[in-house]
Amino acid sequence: MRDKRGTDKILSIYWFVVLTLIGGGVFAMVYVFYGPPYDVREIESEIFAGRIADCLSRQGTLNPNLFVEEGFNQEIGNTFSEDCNFNFNVEEGYGDEIQYFYKVEFYEVTDLEYPVFSFYGGNNNWEMDCYIKKENSKEYRKLAKCTEKRFYALDEDKNQHLIKILSVIGKSEKNAKQ
Amino acid sequence: MLNNKNNKKAQVGEFLTWVIATIVLIVVLIIFIYASSILSATKYLKVNLSDDSGESVDWVTSKTQFAYTISSMNKNRIQGWISQAGENG
Repeated sequence: MRDKRGTDKILSIYWFVVLTLIGGGVFAMVYVFYGPPYDVREIESEIFAGRIADCLSRQGTLNPNLFVEEGFNQEIGNTFSEDCNFNFNVEEGYGDEIQYFYKVEFYEVTDLEYPVFSFYGGNNNWEMDCYIKKENSKEYRKLAKCTEKRFYALDEDKNQHLIKILSVIGKSEKNAKQ
Repeated sequence: MLNNKNNKKAQVGEFLTWVIATIVLIVVLIIFIYASSILSATKYLKVNLSDDSGESVDWVTSKTQFAYTISSMNKNRIQGWISQAGENG
């Protein structure tokens, strides 16, 4: 009678251990399957391009800061990020390497091949990733995500301009499976 | 005496069954966790903005529409160029 009670006790502890093991296993499986990484870079680069476009044009008219008397303001590239309140150092874990890049090109309607003016900001090392043909392999998934947006706007003198924005987000460490 | 010996043998046998069952359980769990790590891929989140009627809306495209209300000269040429976005990059 005494022995049996001891065995029952050990058996119930064992069942608790087994239950914990199975519960832990199911949790681990669900976490591994549905857990990180979530690649949000595509959305981020879309939003970034939208913010750049917002800063360039309002209601169809280009920002007057883009122009000086002689034409395009060649210094705009130096102040654009600041003027538009872009802060590239917001995330920890990347050290000093900036994880963003943008390039803005202006075209005339008469020449759609070559831009008449362009400027860029951020880390231009990311730009090359946009021109590499992406395949569905692990290495390619680590490449930066790029968004190209084009739109049309006029300056204050009603001159037509075509604008091309390239926005790039690096951050593969946190968004792509390593 | 003999009865006691037989009883002990049975106890050892039963204990071994439980140990092996536990090991099998752990191995199966490890296989499943490994399989789910292989099957799990990076989840790509995409944005698809749409208006009340369900039409997809592009933030930047609306800027072009505003500009057309000021001047729609060369509209076809401009639209052609805009629609090439992403084809070269």
